[in-house]
Amino acid sequence: MTRCGAAILIVLLLAAGLAPLILPPPDALDLAARFAAPSPEHLLGTDELGRDLAARLLHGGRISLTVAVATAVLAALIGTAIGMVAGYHGGVADALLMRLTDGVMALPLLPLLIVLAAADPVKLGVPAAAMDSEGFAIGRLVVIIACVGWTTVARLVRASTLSVRARDYVRAAVAMGASPGRIMLCHILPNIASPVVVATTLSVGNIILIESALSFLGLGIRPPLASWGNMLTGAMDVVWSTPALAVWPGAAIFLTVTAFNLLGDGLQRALNPRGDWAETAH
Amino acid sequence: MRRLLAALLLTVLFAAPARAPAAAARDELVIGITQFPATFNPAIESMLAKTYVLAFAQRPITAYDASWQLACLLCETLPSLENGLAKVEGKGIAVTYTLRPDARWGDGVPVTSDDVVFSWSVGRHPQSGVASAELFRRITRIEVKDSRTFTLHIDRLTFDYNAINDLRVLPAHLERRRFEAAPAEYRNRTAYDQDTTNPGLYNGPYRIAQVVQGSSVVLDLNPYWGGAKPAFTRIVIKAIENTASLEANLLSGGIDMIAGELGLPLDQSLAFARRHGDRFTVVTKPSLTYEHLDLNLGSPILADLRVRRALLLALDRDTMTRQLFDGRQPVAHSMVPPLDWVHADDIRQYPYDPAQAAALLDEAGWKMGDGGVRADAKGGRLALELVTTAGNRSRELVAQVLQAQWRKLGIELRIKTEPPRVLFGETVTKRKFVHMAMFAWYSAPENVPHSTLHSDAIPTAANGWSGQNYTGYVNPRMDRLIEAIETELDRARRQALWHQLQALYAEDLPALPLYFKADAFILPKGLKGLEPTGHQDPSPYWVETWRWE
Amino acid sequence: MGMISAGAARLLQSLAVLLVMSFVVYGLMGLMPGDPIDLMIAGDPHLTAADAVRLKLLYGLDRPWTERWLRWLLQVLHGELGYSRLYARPVLAAMLPAMLNTATLMAASLVVTLAVALPLGIAASLRPGSLLDGAVNLLAFASVSLPVFWLGLMLIVVFAVTLAWLPAGGMAEATAGGAGVLAHLVLPVGALALAGIGQYARHMRAAMMAEAGHDYIRTAKAKGCSPWRVVLGHQLRNALIPITTIVALEVGGLFSGALITETVFAWPGMGRLIYDSVMGNDFNLALSGLLLATAVTLLGSILADLAYWRLDPRVRRRS
Repeated sequence: MTRCGAAILIVLLLAAGLAPLILPPPDALDLAARFAAPSPEHLLGTDELGRDLAARLLHGGRISLTVAVATAVLAALIGTAIGMVAGYHGGVADALLMRLTDGVMALPLLPLLIVLAAADPVKLGVPAAAMDSEGFAIGRLVVIIACVGWTTVARLVRASTLSVRARDYVRAAVAMGASPGRIMLCHILPNIASPVVVATTLSVGNIILIESALSFLGLGIRPPLASWGNMLTGAMDVVWSTPALAVWPGAAIFLTVTAFNLLGDGLQRALNPRGDWAETAH
Repeated sequence: MRRLLAALLLTVLFAAPARAPAAAARDELVIGITQFPATFNPAIESMLAKTYVLAFAQRPITAYDASWQLACLLCETLPSLENGLAKVEGKGIAVTYTLRPDARWGDGVPVTSDDVVFSWSVGRHPQSGVASAELFRRITRIEVKDSRTFTLHIDRLTFDYNAINDLRVLPAHLERRRFEAAPAEYRNRTAYDQDTTNPGLYNGPYRIAQVVQGSSVVLDLNPYWGGAKPAFTRIVIKAIENTASLEANLLSGGIDMIAGELGLPLDQSLAFARRHGDRFTVVTKPSLTYEHLDLNLGSPILADLRVRRALLLALDRDTMTRQLFDGRQPVAHSMVPPLDWVHADDIRQYPYDPAQAAALLDEAGWKMGDGGVRADAKGGRLALELVTTAGNRSRELVAQVLQAQWRKLGIELRIKTEPPRVLFGETVTKRKFVHMAMFAWYSAPENVPHSTLHSDAIPTAANGWSGQNYTGYVNPRMDRLIEAIETELDRARRQALWHQLQALYAEDLPALPLYFKADAFILPKGLKGLEPTGHQDPSPYWVETWRWE
Repeated sequence: MGMISAGAARLLQSLAVLLVMSFVVYGLMGLMPGDPIDLMIAGDPHLTAADAVRLKLLYGLDRPWTERWLRWLLQVLHGELGYSRLYARPVLAAMLPAMLNTATLMAASLVVTLAVALPLGIAASLRPGSLLDGAVNLLAFASVSLPVFWLGLMLIVVFAVTLAWLPAGGMAEATAGGAGVLAHLVLPVGALALAGIGQYARHMRAAMMAEAGHDYIRTAKAKGCSPWRVVLGHQLRNALIPITTIVALEVGGLFSGALITETVFAWPGMGRLIYDSVMGNDFNLALSGLLLATAVTLLGSILADLAYWRLDPRVRRRS
């Protein structure tokens, strides 16, 4: 099953990489060919502005995947930092950080993300000219989602840190006078790595779902940049005449998320055969 | 036995959903619109949904008809200088109207001059919340000749002196008490919202019989209506916000037609027509809704006329309207719509000419740089920002088309969307848009663009941001033309002045004209007599002509 | 005693979270496009011009945001939630029908989900490794990977567009009373249920299988109890404990969990209200809606903990 997941992802990456070579560019308008049926020129047909659907799917996939992986990594970094400090130091730091984690976990995810995403970056001092670039659009989303997505990893890392902290080699390091930072980085971190990797991989799928939901609502990646989510926004209006526009992006999301979940599941079985079910947030 | 049961179940399941078009009684019409009115008081808050619903039940004294001519709805004759019912007095004019003898409220009480005077006092009151207070302020006094005849004394002479469409008549016998008790609270106490189904509130062919907030309004015949009897004894108006749902309801027979004033976007309607042309017709009419790009003339880039002309020449508006709107939304060359009688065809137009656009930009100092974007001598990129309303699918599409077409010429466009409240409440009103704002002006036939082009109508902090000249356009010749048109009573002379105004607009391009929008009415094949008006006086003002065939 | 003091501690903690949330969100509102003060004040028809000036001075942007937040908080504690520009009525009046609608949707979908998922999970646990078990696992996997809004769109395409069996969305136009609303409920509930059945079935299966290994089950079997009695009487009851906890957590998502579904199906509930108010710059409504959703989510997690504590005597005895 894991191999299945990995295979899907490799195919996707290859397709995304090869796309610029064999498909027309994703933002090439062709008003004369709106909503065209699949043809040799446009493998999956065209959208409401005559842009090639296949090219937009792959371009959107590239963006969605970048957002998801970057967010997962950022959230993992934040969560690991918080969890390790809490687990290692214990006491007040632990209590405070865990209350913070509980607090953030208890918040309604989507409404909060909507408010964060609707904020106008110009008011924060971001120069308007910088807002155009694809990099900024991706970066903004990564920061927003990572802000609320680090809690699972934090909890996991804290629990693992607590158990590893009691081990002999850590106690030996403490006795030898190693600084807490060194201990955390060199001794604890390598030993808690595997559950973190599994949790991060499993979270990628979830983040893809969140990002596509935000883009669907018009708050994530905005047109003309393609994203699977925002390709579905337009599909609602034309669902009667061209249902195909609604099928493909969603199928792409489904396939990719399944692939990541399969991969994560497989990793988990390999690295943590006796472990509990990893939490997949809804 | 089980097999029989299963077969029965399957038959029922498959038979049940077979929906035939509503076999509703042919004397009932169900109309679908996309928004529900927030209030039913005709004078307070201008809102299209409210105007539409009330158009069945409440008539103004005058209105524009489908051929954009002024017509008398509640009055007997249109007063004019020619027939003597209007007389110039000093700088102003006195206009005399006589209400129709058969004009009655739904409880039998006749519509009288007293109602008109009352409505005027409500409109003039600073706290009553009346939306279009301008007309009320211009009327200095009302002289009542008898119970049906009255004379309005207006403080200035303009060519449209007899159009009092904004003077909505309120029933004094029901509303006076509520108003005089607390004028500032009138909009919360009006019987139109507190007691909506009171027949005495309505003087049209129908009256509101039932309201389900947020959902539907039922209109029954008004027994005291003196005009032509409508063919339908009952009209149901359903508000369905979701356009996919609206379409579905039409197909399943839940509604009979979709009103163009508040219906599906044009491209969706056209797609619908392609699929269901056998059962429905889509009727469109170009309106006076002027979709355009207001330019911030204070920006150094756009202050250069050559750049403005180049921007327009680089747009293939004909193809855009043909492909996106099936050619139903005519390209605009100025703010005057083609159906307006003063429309001038022979002014300067800007057909698609990318070569000339490129030449103009080169001449203006914008040379093609690396990355495919033009830059000036100092290296500043030709990057512009366009702001428009969020949630409007067709505007988003058009913005992307503009971006792509300008990209070919080396112009970089950044698209920004804002909620309408922010765009109109802040960004354009306070002239905060950096380069361009795309939105539509919605006016009346032969509407003089004083508030959008006159130099005294530029909103500033000093004047409390009043005025709609968001571009900041200042041209003394334009000012003079506007002032002359407003007071020119001779039609021929006025037409000549309008010609000059449109020519000047096309030369100076304070805004980039795009096209005139068209409302799409989706009507069942048998429904006849419904004519879209193309302006803000909606089609139900002539509901008496609608019928099944 | 222990439960009450622990409950009180949780309550206080939740209030603290709510307070911090209101602070953060109030600050975030200031980052929305447009002038939030203008937009907050300008929509209220009860205000006179003098009132508007006075309020602007009070809430004006020249005041530090923290001070503005405090004033807003005091106002809320007095019961004044403000006026909604979007719906032209007081915030509470706008929220109440939406709360009812969302509650209807969530309750209906929870009932359907549990009604299908629990028996499936039990059946799968009784036949581990069978086709049914495999199918349940697959369904659970698929439902986690599926974007809910796409599922909703697909349901619309199949049932409303192609087959024309059911309405494509909305609820408000159902003038035919109860029966009409029911027809409009089917698709959104279907979408939510399909997304949730897999998960619940898997949880039920896991819980049942966890119980199956315990001694008391073997004892009951050894005693000669009929298999059904063992399953329903003993195993199920204990397996339901973690399920109840999960359901209690779902209750927390009562007002925010169906946001996407409500948008796709144009269901006029709290999720859509929050979205529309944020997009429409209706700050009063957005703030209040968001805080309500947060409060309910916090309540849900408290309920979950309480349920767990109450239902599992082992936990109680330990503390």
